[in-house]
Amino acid sequence: MALDLNVNGTRHTIDADPLTPLLWVIRDYVGLTGTKFSCGIGQCGACTVHVDGQPVRSCSVQASMAVGKRITTIEGISTDGNHPIQVAWKEFDTPQCGYCQSGMIMSALALLQRRPNPSDADINSAVTNACRCGTYHRIRQAIHLAAELMKDGRRQ
Amino acid sequence: MSENEISDVNRREFLAMVAAAQGAFILGFWVPPQANAQSGPRPVWYQDPTTAEINAWIVISPDDTVTIRIGQSELGQGVWTSNAMMVAEELQCDWNKVRPQYASANRDAREKAPEWTLKVMGNGATDPKGGGEPGFGNRDRTGVSGIPDSLYRRMRTNAASSVKDGRYYLQLAGAEARERLLLTAAQLWNVPVAEVTAKDSIITHIKSGRTTTYGKIAGRAAGMPHPNPETITIKSPDQWTLMGTERKNLDVPDKVAGRVVYGIDVRVPGMKWAAVKACPVYGGKVKSCNFDAIREMPGVRSAMQFPIPDPALTRGRIFGGGVAVVADHWHQAKTALDRISIEWDIPPEHAAFNTANMRDALLASFDRPGRVRVNQGNVDDAFARAVKVVEATYSTPYLPRARMEPGNATVLVTDDRVDVWIGDQSPQETRFSASKITGIPEQNVYVNLCHLGGGFGRNGNGPQAEQAIMIANAHRGTPIHLLWTREEDFIGTTYRAMGMARLKAGLDSEGWPIALEVRTAMQEDGFGPESSFDVASRYHVPNYRFSNHTTKFHVPVGTRRGIGQAAHEFYRESFMNELAHAAGKDAYRYRRELIARTSLPYKEDMIRALDIAAEMSGWGKPLPRGTARAIALEERGAETNRMATISAMVHTVSVSRDGKVKLERVDVAHETGFGLVNPLSVKKQIEGQIIWFYNDAMHQANTIKDGHIVENNFNAFRLSRIDEDPPEINIRFFKTGHWLLGMGHDRATSVQSAIGDAIFQITGKRFRDLPYGSQDLSWT
Repeated sequence: MALDLNVNGTRHTIDADPLTPLLWVIRDYVGLTGTKFSCGIGQCGACTVHVDGQPVRSCSVQASMAVGKRITTIEGISTDGNHPIQVAWKEFDTPQCGYCQSGMIMSALALLQRRPNPSDADINSAVTNACRCGTYHRIRQAIHLAAELMKDGRRQ
Repeated sequence: MSENEISDVNRREFLAMVAAAQGAFILGFWVPPQANAQSGPRPVWYQDPTTAEINAWIVISPDDTVTIRIGQSELGQGVWTSNAMMVAEELQCDWNKVRPQYASANRDAREKAPEWTLKVMGNGATDPKGGGEPGFGNRDRTGVSGIPDSLYRRMRTNAASSVKDGRYYLQLAGAEARERLLLTAAQLWNVPVAEVTAKDSIITHIKSGRTTTYGKIAGRAAGMPHPNPETITIKSPDQWTLMGTERKNLDVPDKVAGRVVYGIDVRVPGMKWAAVKACPVYGGKVKSCNFDAIREMPGVRSAMQFPIPDPALTRGRIFGGGVAVVADHWHQAKTALDRISIEWDIPPEHAAFNTANMRDALLASFDRPGRVRVNQGNVDDAFARAVKVVEATYSTPYLPRARMEPGNATVLVTDDRVDVWIGDQSPQETRFSASKITGIPEQNVYVNLCHLGGGFGRNGNGPQAEQAIMIANAHRGTPIHLLWTREEDFIGTTYRAMGMARLKAGLDSEGWPIALEVRTAMQEDGFGPESSFDVASRYHVPNYRFSNHTTKFHVPVGTRRGIGQAAHEFYRESFMNELAHAAGKDAYRYRRELIARTSLPYKEDMIRALDIAAEMSGWGKPLPRGTARAIALEERGAETNRMATISAMVHTVSVSRDGKVKLERVDVAHETGFGLVNPLSVKKQIEGQIIWFYNDAMHQANTIKDGHIVENNFNAFRLSRIDEDPPEINIRFFKTGHWLLGMGHDRATSVQSAIGDAIFQITGKRFRDLPYGSQDLSWT
């Protein structure tokens, strides 16, 4: 059965079992590997993507649920890796192994889109992804800087 | 074209084209040479006319791009950048045009190291002009101890040693190349070499002002041998201009764009996916299974049983045999695998293990004679004289690495060659495994390295490669990408051994220890039973006895951010807090005085660390009720006059009345030794290890039931989130007079004892079993 998916603005017709988790359709059928598999049970958030602007743990939703919606992955937030949130992440040299960082950025971006000036408490409740290297200290600083950079962007 | 018809050449070209088409910078992807080009003096890939290989570490392109080959694996510790910095410091090239690339583990099997890299210059740990004290061990075909005379000296990434062991030869590699480039320019201009200098890849003839660039003359320099390489020297820290400065990690731009290729991201044309299920009880294997249920399932290509991986290839650790399903897509393979009913053949003595009876066995081992490692003075007489005796028993659970990227490997076996694409901390061992399993010589094994989504222990990644090689060997001609589920990763990893310690001290009338007896217990194949306690006590005590006690368990154990150290530091520093309390003394000043009483060579550095951390934290200043400070010293190696890493940390911790612990603030005093290569990476290591050991202290434990690991995903095995990150981390560096032992582990072990002591100060309850999070920490 074919699934019509809109990933990062591009339409893909995928021949996959509609019960396949969205994560595996993105990674194996669409071929975008920036979104990561780690726990498979929606706990760690390494697989976070946006569906119609909302953060979704893609390992735990079926691909069919995303039909007719806008799916955004890490590859889709900028063409050159210079979205303000990526610039902020680089400024603090945030990643260590980097494996969780795509999901972390997607969760943080969803927060910033909803709440352009997040408090530490907002970050604590919205960015619930896990990082094993312990990069949280820099992630928090990067989110605050990203908020500033995104505001500047809007003023321009 | 069927999979079997895809030739090596097509496959590799395709891989390169995929990279180009997607615009992705395939990080570190070394595209192997064509099989037919393997004879002859030089593989084809470095006769590319547009680039010039100066030596095995350095390739310079006409546009001045400098490719630096990295012999260790990037797993978040920053080696991709720090190794490149050590080479570039000496090469004096333009740092903005440096591109790291993984060294070839295959070439490492074929070529010997250049003679000039074999001798470590200088006088050991305390000579700033020297190469420190790199350790290579004895030659060992499995790469367990490194292969000291192979091309890249060591390709393993372990023991926090990439800088410690690699610095001298990486600096030498840069210096050798620079000198040859200078010689080449001098010869071209017909001037004495003493009149030419190099900076940022530009060579200048001082007298005439004439210039050229590395890129322009690299081709000639590649053919210009160094006339006397034994005369090459390396810069000492006072001459460094790049090393010692904060440099952002070179792969971070790709990491924030989702462009880095980890092992899990490898795609090879014709590749099929494998999902596996190994017996959850170690030592168990498949008794029977029925594949009928999956024969017609979409995408399924084959299914097979595999045996227990040969313990000779897994450092003696015994994992389980299991079942693999191969399909077009991984999710198809996994779905099919879950439909197969498997009956296991489990050794009954293994199925009898559970955490409670294992704890009893460790406790019982204390009462049997152990292996006495240290026996100084007369411990029994001293106890007889003691005014007060303090005794405590501590425990630490089994702990896995739980890296974020589950185990995986992609393997293609053909009749004369094996390719493995993998994130691997020990490619020399994997090369050996591939050869043993397939019967194909190591010289024809290509381990193509990828970044790792976390590492945390060289031999911790279990039999991911061995399983994949066995499956691919049964599917010759088809590349097989094995991927573990998270649950499978908890079975396939090795664990830090569950451990216990019983410490007993006799205090004199002023509260100073006059006798100390330390007994540690872990399973007999556990790593580092001697760690931390193996030489004279860090804190002065005239009569000291230390013994190891062991028993036999079946859980495969390995390194995990160090060996026994992290657990042993928890035991020792927790006990120091208990002694200070029993003596009625301040925990900082008690430690300070006991170090001052020793004759340890680095005692002044240790005292400085304590003093700086205490001062930074406002030690002694009043805190609100429910908040407390605790201090600990952290060192590795400081009991000798060799290399060491010394730090002290003060942790400010609050406990709410309903028992919620918050690490509020960490003040860190950390030595630099003669110099840190990349202080930014060092800070990140410290921050990360604070979280790592916070998790060990508060949340993480694996228990055993009926012989298997119980907590096998992140719902039951807890990882802290950003809300638990300490709001304030302050790091201050201080300079010392020796080379460092390394930064990759044991840098924040103090979190464990400090949270325990803070809980005691606030609640009056002393907990000695980790993790604290499973205890009732409430107070009134």
